[in-house]
Amino acid sequence: MATQPILRYPHPVLKKVCHRVEAIDNVLHTLVRDLLDTMRDGPGSVGVAAPQIGVTLRVCVVDVSASRHGKDDNHGQLCMINPEITARSGTAVMREGCMSVPDYTGDVERATEITVRYDEPGGAERVFTATGFEAVAIQHEMDHLDGVLFLDRIVCLKTGLFRRKNYR
Amino acid sequence: MTLQPDILHYAVSVVGKDRTGIVSGIAEALFRLGCNIADSSCTMLAGEFAVILIVSHEKPFSKSRLHDELKPVCDGLGMSLAVRALHADEIARLETQGEICLISVYGADQPGIVYRVTHELAERGVNITDLNTKLIGTPDEPVYVMMLEAALPEGQTPEELEALLGNLKKELNVEIGVRVVTPVAL
Repeated sequence: MATQPILRYPHPVLKKVCHRVEAIDNVLHTLVRDLLDTMRDGPGSVGVAAPQIGVTLRVCVVDVSASRHGKDDNHGQLCMINPEITARSGTAVMREGCMSVPDYTGDVERATEITVRYDEPGGAERVFTATGFEAVAIQHEMDHLDGVLFLDRIVCLKTGLFRRKNYR
Repeated sequence: MTLQPDILHYAVSVVGKDRTGIVSGIAEALFRLGCNIADSSCTMLAGEFAVILIVSHEKPFSKSRLHDELKPVCDGLGMSLAVRALHADEIARLETQGEICLISVYGADQPGIVYRVTHELAERGVNITDLNTKLIGTPDEPVYVMMLEAALPEGQTPEELEALLGNLKKELNVEIGVRVVTPVAL
């Protein structure tokens, strides 16, 4: 177990464009392990990107299978290295929050269906189409790899008044 | 910004005919006084601009001084001013475990839409966090639109609430919809 502290804005790493992973080595395997442990440790967290734990590499993990929005439509635990979205369609607005920007939520428009391509920790390339909340979560985490926060994408002025102790 | 209960906070509201420079005029006066603007909401209602601010100051600072400094600015802008000191227990950040819903109500304009709907919500323990209304349509066929956001009591589902509002929907002959907008954590 190597849960890492989640960096919070204005930590400068959160606004950096991350580097591509050039080699899948032990250091990378440790990073993936840390990302998964950190995601499991966060209350209701469905994803963590490497820059959120201070690493400027294009790696993120996503798992919406335990969340109420994603439990019926997901691909389980995803460990994504150098992910790219190759196709997107549809749009929907969802109110998002982020562990790196606590106490704030806002309405963000995202594609409802995306085709994503990435390398798995074992080295194999994977391509699949995600929809619904899983697609939203992947887009949110991938934004972190480009230094983009949900604050950069808010489409509606209304913001959440309440801080939540738990997300479900 | 996380509100700090140990420093002085004031609620400031300013309303008047819309024009450019209202926010900057008020913000400049507050800046010169060394006040911080914590939470705020400013919006246009018909041709009026309404400003509501929670301001703080780290040093002892009287309500009358704040009022006296803002008054000439508001007078110059032709706007009304109200200042209220907040007690420490009034400025805590709210927390809720219930669902956050957007409730839309619209239909032929008639007296009592706001009252009847909000009364029903209050009776059910639903806490309104944001509400705005707009009169649209034509003089012959005025339509009233009300959008509100509310926190449901823990355990209450949006479906239950929508069902509870069903009778009112029939009685007023308006559309009432309840949609969940509870944030997702990512």
